[in-house]
Amino acid sequence: MANIGKITQVIGSTFDAEFSADQLPPIYNAVTAEIDTGGDKRTLYGEISKHLGGGRVRCVALGSTEGLRRGADCVDTGAPVSVPVGDATLGRVFNMLGEPVDGGESLDQVEKRSIHRPAPAVAELSTNTELFETGIKVVDLLTPFVRGGKAGLFGGAGLGKTVILTELIARIASQHGGYSVFAGVGERTREGTDLWLEMQEAKIGDTGRSVIEQTAMVFGQMNEPPGARLRVALSALTMAEHFRDSTGADTLLFVDNIFRFSQAGSEVSALLGRMPSAVGYQPTLATEMGALQERIASTNKGAITSVQAVYVPADDPTDPAPATAFGQLDAFLYLERSISEKGIYPAVDPLASSSRILDPAYVGDHHYAVARKVQTTLQRYRELQDIIAILGVDELSEEDKTVVHRARRIERFLSQPFYVAEVFTGKAGEFTSLADTIRSFEELCDGKWDHLPEDAFMYVGAIEQAEEQAKKMAAKA
Amino acid sequence: MANARALDKRRKSIRNIKKITRTMELIATARFKKAMDRATAASDYTRRITAVVSDLARAGLEVSHPLLEAPDKSTDATLLVLTGNRGLCGGYNGNALRLGMKSRETLIEQAENVTLEVSGKRGINGFKFRDIEADESFTQFDDQPEYAEVEKIANRYLAAYEAGKLHRLDVTYTKFHSVAKQEIVTETLLPLGKIEGADTPVDPDAESSGESLYEFVPSAESILEEVVPTSFRIKLFKCFLDAAVSEQVARMIAMKSATEAANDMIKDLSRTYNRARQSQITGEIMEVIGGVEALEG
Repeated sequence: MANIGKITQVIGSTFDAEFSADQLPPIYNAVTAEIDTGGDKRTLYGEISKHLGGGRVRCVALGSTEGLRRGADCVDTGAPVSVPVGDATLGRVFNMLGEPVDGGESLDQVEKRSIHRPAPAVAELSTNTELFETGIKVVDLLTPFVRGGKAGLFGGAGLGKTVILTELIARIASQHGGYSVFAGVGERTREGTDLWLEMQEAKIGDTGRSVIEQTAMVFGQMNEPPGARLRVALSALTMAEHFRDSTGADTLLFVDNIFRFSQAGSEVSALLGRMPSAVGYQPTLATEMGALQERIASTNKGAITSVQAVYVPADDPTDPAPATAFGQLDAFLYLERSISEKGIYPAVDPLASSSRILDPAYVGDHHYAVARKVQTTLQRYRELQDIIAILGVDELSEEDKTVVHRARRIERFLSQPFYVAEVFTGKAGEFTSLADTIRSFEELCDGKWDHLPEDAFMYVGAIEQAEEQAKKMAAKA
Repeated sequence: MANARALDKRRKSIRNIKKITRTMELIATARFKKAMDRATAASDYTRRITAVVSDLARAGLEVSHPLLEAPDKSTDATLLVLTGNRGLCGGYNGNALRLGMKSRETLIEQAENVTLEVSGKRGINGFKFRDIEADESFTQFDDQPEYAEVEKIANRYLAAYEAGKLHRLDVTYTKFHSVAKQEIVTETLLPLGKIEGADTPVDPDAESSGESLYEFVPSAESILEEVVPTSFRIKLFKCFLDAAVSEQVARMIAMKSATEAANDMIKDLSRTYNRARQSQITGEIMEVIGGVEALEG
């Protein structure tokens, strides 16, 4: 016998319903309500997020509440929202509820899992730490990714977070044997479609199979109500968790953009009657973020390597939303506006970005020493910038002049042509092996390439290409 | 938006830098005037000396002196580079150093033994950084070089030249034309070639009369013996004076533009600071209001 209640109140993207007090559905349970707007019928899903007392519950709507009426029937589904998992999800595109949106056949018969699950227990977590090579110089050298770890891309509007993320998908997913899950959270729908089409074209290594055949995509984009954007990351994560637990394969989870998750939470928070906290965010910001991030973990059954884009509002990294995400990550790349203004992409700030495994114990003494040397050179250059602005470069001591000379070259050498940006830069993407990267930067720091002009270092792979580019430039001039 | 307190701290430190550059600018202006007066006085003396030589020439004498003629050999050369003891003078030391390096290389191509002599701490350190140790270095010359000090150096060169141990002396220094124009040059002081202005008469009337204004006692030759080395000493002294004046001018200009740059930066920082402060206040007000609304609702 279905547990049926009545809608008593609709407040924006939340609504209240009243059930009989002895059949009160628990928190996180999904409820449905039929909406009939002039012949156009649809089912609205909601998720119970608060017990108001008596039989009344407050729900977050997972779709638009337009046309929802007071007094309408509200049915408790008896379980949280569940999404299809397993091989059937590969190659498909879903919405937050787990319904296919790519126009393909429906997945009613496959196994489903609740999107709310506890994080893996302490004893199950994997402690293995291994470097994950991306072929991007600045990432491999200064912010090495961890296999089975979490990496974040922080940046303000228009700095290229999505470009770097798609680039990483192109680099990692196309060489990766395991499964990938992509979660589109509150970003542009167009970008999602672009990505879907790109994945159909891209091939995995030499196997002749396209990347999409190993990928499941879940979208809850900007046009969706906050409830959907709040839960879409969990839907995607649930699929990824299943791949990890059942197949033991390395699973990749890409999230663009985790900030929208916090933002959606803040949109519904006040409607749920919570008092706003710092900068107007929900008081439960850290709890929500923790519950999500702790589930993205590698266990002794399998690993989830995740890359997340994090929007930084107003370029202020101390904003609570990015600051909360920050603490959860193994490696983080901070994209800096002043670098993108110089035309250097990826606009990774080499001093603000770091990685947990940039440590001699993990990456080895040589890699660590070179990375530190690059950072000290750039750090010194940054300190000198005020002096240069006031007194001019002539006032620097001879040592400092050399530092500035090299730092300007290193800065430019951190740029790199991307596969996905070929149409913009006109240059083919470059995969630079870790060994080449370390050697190149070491030689650069030792002054072996001081004689090349600065522009020769822009958008090249290994250092030899800078030399070639210098020759070409000289020939042209 | 950056942290308001950090911005304020940075602005304070730039204010302090500005205070220093402004003071240095004033000091350099005062020193420049003094150095300028000395240089003008010295050039008067130089003019008189050349006038005397010119008269000697017109007295029907063949002006010949070992200092004036190129030696048979050119194996031993010396390069003297004049830089400042202090920095904060824009490109002054850097330019002198750069031309000095270049001149040294061309000299090495032409002569077998090149000795390098450097005046000024900045120059000495600059060469040392490039792993070139100066054979002789001086740090006693500041904004008012003493003639007695320069004379000692000049006499050493003269002695070496006469003994045949030195065949060529080049000096790299900053030549002072006017406040707006200084030029970094390398000049060959030894052999003297010919004395500048020796052909131009001081008094056109005296030339037409074909008679000298002076009587030479005991003889014109013995006076030549005295005048030619003095002319060299004066020339070298003039190099030092020019370099000193140029240094002060360079410092004056560098400090002026530094003060201006600091002013601009303070303006920029103030603007960012005010904006950061205001947005912080706005944010806090909004939070308070939001909190009140939430409690009421």
